[in-house]
Amino acid sequence: MVPDKDLKTILGKLRYSDDAKVVQQITEQTKNVHARMAGIKHKLVVMSGKGGVGKSMTTVNLALAFARQGAKVGLLDVDLNGPCVPRMLGLHGQSLQMTPEGAIPPIGPLGIKVASMDFFLDEASPVRWKGPMDVSPVWLGLMEMNVIREFLADVIWGELDVLLADLPPGAAADKPPVIAGFIPDLAGAIVVTTPSEVASDVVQKSVTYARDMGIKVLGIVENMSEYRCPSCGEQNELFEGNTDAMCEVLDLPLLGRIPFDRKLARTFDKGAPLLDETYPTIQRYQEIAGRIRTLLDYKKVLADKL
Amino acid sequence: MKFVCLNCETYMNFEKVEKPGEGSLGVFFGCPSCGAKFSMVTNPGETQMVSSLGVKLGGRTAAAEPFEMTRGTLKDEALAGSGQMAAYLNEKIHGGQPVASSAAPTSGKEGEKTGSGCPFSAIVAEMGLTTGGKSTSGTTGTSEFSWSSDAKEKLDRLPAFVKPMVQSSVEAYARKQGYKTITLQVMDDSKNDSSNGVTWSREAEQRLENIPDFIRPMARKEIERVAKERGVAIITAQVMDETKEKFLKFM
Repeated sequence: MVPDKDLKTILGKLRYSDDAKVVQQITEQTKNVHARMAGIKHKLVVMSGKGGVGKSMTTVNLALAFARQGAKVGLLDVDLNGPCVPRMLGLHGQSLQMTPEGAIPPIGPLGIKVASMDFFLDEASPVRWKGPMDVSPVWLGLMEMNVIREFLADVIWGELDVLLADLPPGAAADKPPVIAGFIPDLAGAIVVTTPSEVASDVVQKSVTYARDMGIKVLGIVENMSEYRCPSCGEQNELFEGNTDAMCEVLDLPLLGRIPFDRKLARTFDKGAPLLDETYPTIQRYQEIAGRIRTLLDYKKVLADKL
Repeated sequence: MKFVCLNCETYMNFEKVEKPGEGSLGVFFGCPSCGAKFSMVTNPGETQMVSSLGVKLGGRTAAAEPFEMTRGTLKDEALAGSGQMAAYLNEKIHGGQPVASSAAPTSGKEGEKTGSGCPFSAIVAEMGLTTGGKSTSGTTGTSEFSWSSDAKEKLDRLPAFVKPMVQSSVEAYARKQGYKTITLQVMDDSKNDSSNGVTWSREAEQRLENIPDFIRPMARKEIERVAKERGVAIITAQVMDETKEKFLKFM
């Protein structure tokens, strides 16, 4: 029988060694993420506290806008359980090409490289994990974070000017700001809202939480700001809110307003996105992308205008 | 995780991993001093927790394949692996009784106590909390400050969804300054009070107007950061010049 001993005293005398090599492997995983993303100039996340505000539509259109402006663009669909970016860009059914060096992403319109959980799923299949813990929320959280880590570490993005990550909905206790924290040298977050008071309320929480996590929020995009009747052309507001007031309170710029555009939305639903840069709604995305580029280059603006 | 040999007062060494059964791991440790052996056996759930970290106990012998964990863990058959944990618990803990029976909802008075099947609602009720984390018996809506009528009117004119944030920000400023009454002046001053504790001269504010409006908030923060780095409490034209000088280096 071993007499009672003071464990704290014993541990104070011992030197820790990582002989199971767990710490070493986790350190290497982090290094791999950094190495893989080293060729990307600007990493941006698109987020919102609220679901259904059009994050994916905004992300995809901003990616196309950056590409139209001559940038090399990557798009990471981080919504593991509701991935829709491949379908919107006509890439549904394609897959990542696995090589010993990493996974080669499919190329979408205007040369955009795309990675998504959708590439691992069959038609209409939800994400289901095998094993004894598949219904444990604690395990699911851990698992999903590591799947995202693989998306960051294993996709061969190469040299990119901009990588946009479409985050799942959620504000704080769920994952988006935590996911954003995974991305090394993140340039900032674009927050999408609708002009509804309910959305604004939740979006404020997500901005506050993101800032608490040290994520720089670049600005707000107001989606579904108005609706143009396809029959008579009359334009009406869809919601009664005040995004300007929210931006003022949060001390954030309103990067732009996007109308609800059924014609444009339908082209993405069908996987054949409208690419005409003279189309009015697409021009709005172009303007927002231009403002984001200016924000990313804010140091030059300060040197020039201050 | 480490194990300590209390006899020898030393860490045990990791030796090897074996699979004693489906979904189970046996992790072997040995004391480098007395030679004692020890094996930790994991249940299927614990095994999966370790594997979802994307690590191999004892280190890798070959580099990881791309998306190794994602591809290895995605369910290809609807029922693959399910029930493994339940079977384990059934065998080891419940002595062959179905696991579900121990988790079945209770009926009668026990069930009526919470008023719903949600196990969290009783806990929340006991803590005196409702949604939003506000105490049901607390002072929601009341303020430690008295608001002048014109300040209150200005606050009430704000959209409902931004009002709580503005109120909390103004009151935080008032608390910091030791004010008991919030007037229009306090509201205005609170807007100019940055979290860095720096204030802006009129001239500096005017120069900030040269920056395009959508980039101004970021510029303001950046200039405040420069001021803080230099230990300056008031942002003057000179601080603006120094900031401009700093950013000219990026041109």
